[in-house]
Amino acid sequence: MNKLKLIALALVSVCTLSLSAQVTYKASYFGVKSDGSTLNTRSIQKAIDHISEQGGGTLEFYVGRYLTGTLNLKSNVTIQLHEGAVLVGVTSPYDYFAAGDTKAIICAEGQENIAVTGKGVIQGQGTLLQGKVQTQIDKGNLKESLAQASPALISLKNCTNVKIEGINLQNPCGNVMVYSDCKDVTLNNLAVTSRQTANSQGVLFSGCTGFTMTDCYFDTTGTALVSGGNSTGVTISGCKTPDGKQLKAKK
Amino acid sequence: MKASMTKLFSLAVALLATIQLSAKDYDVQDFGAVADGIALNTNTIQYAIDFVHNNGGGRLVFHAGTYLTGSIYIKSNVTLHLERGATLLGSTNPLDYNFEKRCGWHSMIFAIDQENIGITGQGVIDGQGFTTAINRLNLIHRGFNPGNDVIPYDRPREWNRPQNIYFRECKNITIKDITLRDPASWNQTYDQCVNLYVDNIYVDSKSYWNNDGIDIVDCKDVIVKNSFFDAADDVLCLKSHSAEHMCENVVIDNCVGRSSANGLKFGTVSRGGFKNITVTNMTIYDTYRSAITFAAVDGAHIENILVDGVRSINTGNVIYLRIGNRWSKGKEPIMKDITIKNVYAEVPFHKADAGYSYEGPIEDLPRNISPASIVGLPEYKIENVTLENVEIVYPGAGNPYYAKVGLTPEELDGIPEQADRYPEFSQFKELPAWGMYIRHANGIHFKNVTFKALASDYRPAIVLDDVNGGTFEGMQYIEPNSEGKNQLFDYKSQNIEIK
Repeated sequence: MNKLKLIALALVSVCTLSLSAQVTYKASYFGVKSDGSTLNTRSIQKAIDHISEQGGGTLEFYVGRYLTGTLNLKSNVTIQLHEGAVLVGVTSPYDYFAAGDTKAIICAEGQENIAVTGKGVIQGQGTLLQGKVQTQIDKGNLKESLAQASPALISLKNCTNVKIEGINLQNPCGNVMVYSDCKDVTLNNLAVTSRQTANSQGVLFSGCTGFTMTDCYFDTTGTALVSGGNSTGVTISGCKTPDGKQLKAKK
Repeated sequence: MKASMTKLFSLAVALLATIQLSAKDYDVQDFGAVADGIALNTNTIQYAIDFVHNNGGGRLVFHAGTYLTGSIYIKSNVTLHLERGATLLGSTNPLDYNFEKRCGWHSMIFAIDQENIGITGQGVIDGQGFTTAINRLNLIHRGFNPGNDVIPYDRPREWNRPQNIYFRECKNITIKDITLRDPASWNQTYDQCVNLYVDNIYVDSKSYWNNDGIDIVDCKDVIVKNSFFDAADDVLCLKSHSAEHMCENVVIDNCVGRSSANGLKFGTVSRGGFKNITVTNMTIYDTYRSAITFAAVDGAHIENILVDGVRSINTGNVIYLRIGNRWSKGKEPIMKDITIKNVYAEVPFHKADAGYSYEGPIEDLPRNISPASIVGLPEYKIENVTLENVEIVYPGAGNPYYAKVGLTPEELDGIPEQADRYPEFSQFKELPAWGMYIRHANGIHFKNVTFKALASDYRPAIVLDDVNGGTFEGMQYIEPNSEGKNQLFDYKSQNIEIK
C-alpha cells in the first residue's frame, strides 16, 4: 500500500515537473559557435524551430559572441543570454528580413509566449552595417529607403505574451525595438544604448494591448519612446534617459 | 686578480657555448617523419626524441614542412629545433592528446622531470585549437564524455582541451625564436620549473577560450624577454597552483602584449605567491581588462614587485591590485612592497578589444568607466604601494543616471567586499572615482601622478576608503569644467598627506 502511494506520488511529481520545468538547450548542441566570426543564423534558427516543435523551452547562450542575421522567434521559445553572451548582428544587408515593416535581428510575427532574457547583449554593429546598406542603395541594388533598410534589434508583430528582460541593447543600425499589434508585452530592466547611427529611436509601439515597460535606461540619438497610438493598457515607469528625465506614455 | 677571474668566467661560458653547439643534430625526417601535414607523426617524433635522449642528447631538427602530431614528450638534453618554414601542427582529433595527471592537463608537447631541454628555431607550433576544441565539444554532445565534462560555459573545461606546451618540474629550459599559434586552451605552461629562459618568441593565441600568452606557474629563476603576445586571455601570466611553492626571481623585459583579458597578470590561481619580480619596458595595447592585475585571492604572498616602464594604449584599465579570499583555505594573503613607475596609459570609452576573435565578455553592467583600483580586505590590507611618474588619460563622462555610487557613507559602505569573487577590475560594477579607487590599504605613495579626464565626470578622481598612511605628491588632475572640484576624497582614512 505504502509502495503504491509512493509510486503514485512519484508519478504525480514527474508530471508536475515536466509541465513546469522549462526544457533548456545549450546553443553549442546545435553547432552554434561563440567565436564572433562564424555566421550562425541557420544553426540558431534551426535550434529555435526545433525547440518550438518540441513544445517549447529555453535556448541558452553563454559567454561569447554569436554572429547572426535575422532570427525568427517561434512560440514558446525563450532566448536566454547569460552574462557575457552577445548576439552580434552581421554587417551584410541581405542577411536581414522583416516582421511587418521592420527588419531586425530578432523578428517574430504571430507567435506567442516568447521571451529574450538574461544579462547579455544584443548588438547591431550599426555604423558598419549602415555604411554597407548605404553603399547598396547608392549602387541601386537595394530599392529601399535607408530607414527601411536599416535593421532594428527587435521587431515583433502580432505577438502575444512577450517578455524582454534584463538585457543590454546596443547600437542598432536602425531603431532599437519595434512592437506592432502585440498583446501583453513586458519590457523590464533593459539598458539601451544607440549612439552609432542618426535618429535611432528607442522603442516604438502601436496597436498594442497591454504594454508594460519598467526600469529601462535609454541613451539614443533619436526619441527614446515613440507611441504610434491605438495602444491600450500602457504602463511606463522608472524609465530614464541620460539627462535624468523620466519617460512617460503620451495620453 | 679580478680581471683574471672575469677571463676565467668568460672562458667557461665560451666552453659551455661550444659544448652546446657541438651537441649533435638529428633530422627528424631520418626517423621517417613525414612533413606533409597529413601523416600523423606522434610515435615517430617520440621515437626520435627518445633516441636523441638515449644517445647523449642534441637537437632534433625539423626542416621546412608541416609535421602533424598528437602528444609528445621532450626528454633531458633534447632540444626540438624548428627551422624557418617548419610547423609542428597539432592534430584536430582530441583523442590524439594525453591527459597527464602530473599536470592535470592535455597538451601537445609535454616535459616532466627533465633537464636541459628546449624548443628553438624560427618555426611554428600550431595547435589548430579551434577545431580541436569544437571536435571535443561535439564528442561530448554525442555522449562520449570521459571525465564527465559538464561544459559549464557551453565549452569543454580548460583541462579537456590541449595546449601547445606543458612542462612540469623541469630544469634549464630554453624557449627561443619560435612562434606559438592557436592552442585549444592556455598556450604554454611552465609549472614548478627552475631556470627558464624565454627569448624572442611570437605568440598568436586567440583561436578559442582561455588562450593565454604564457603561463609561468610556481617557477624560480625566469627570464622572459623580447617577445610579442597576442592572446584572447591573459598575456604575461604568472600563477601559483601550489601553496608550498611560488614564482620567485622573475625578470620580464621588453615585451609587447595584446589581450582580451589582462596584460601582466599574477593569478588568478594564487596559492603560494609571487616574490622578487621585475617587469621592465612593457607595452600593452588593445586590451580589454587591465594592463596590470595582481591578485592574491587564494592566500598568495605577493612581495617585492617592480614594474618600471609601461605604455598601456587603448586598454580598458591600467592597474588592478586585489586581495581576496577565494580558495585560501586559511592561508593568509599578503600583498606588499609594490612599485609601479614610469607609466603612460590611455583608457578608451569604447571596447578596447572590439574586432578580435574571442573578445572579452561584456559584463558587470551598468557601470561607467572603471577606475584603476587597489582593493584589499578589511582584515588583509594591501601594504606599501608606490606609484611614481604615472599618467593615465581617461574618457571621463561618468553619467549618474546610468550608474551611480556617490560619496555618502551609505554608498561607500555599500560597495560589496566580494572577497570570494573572481578578481577583475569591473567586479564591483560602479565605483565612486574616475581615476583611482583605494580601499583597505596601508601606505600608499603617489609621486608625480596625473589623472586626466577628457570629459567631465560626476565622480572625483580619487577615493580612499580605509587607507592608513598615504602621501600624494605632485598630483595633477585635469578634467573639463572642474574648477573647485575636490578630486581626492578620503573616507575612514588616516595620516593622508598631500604635498
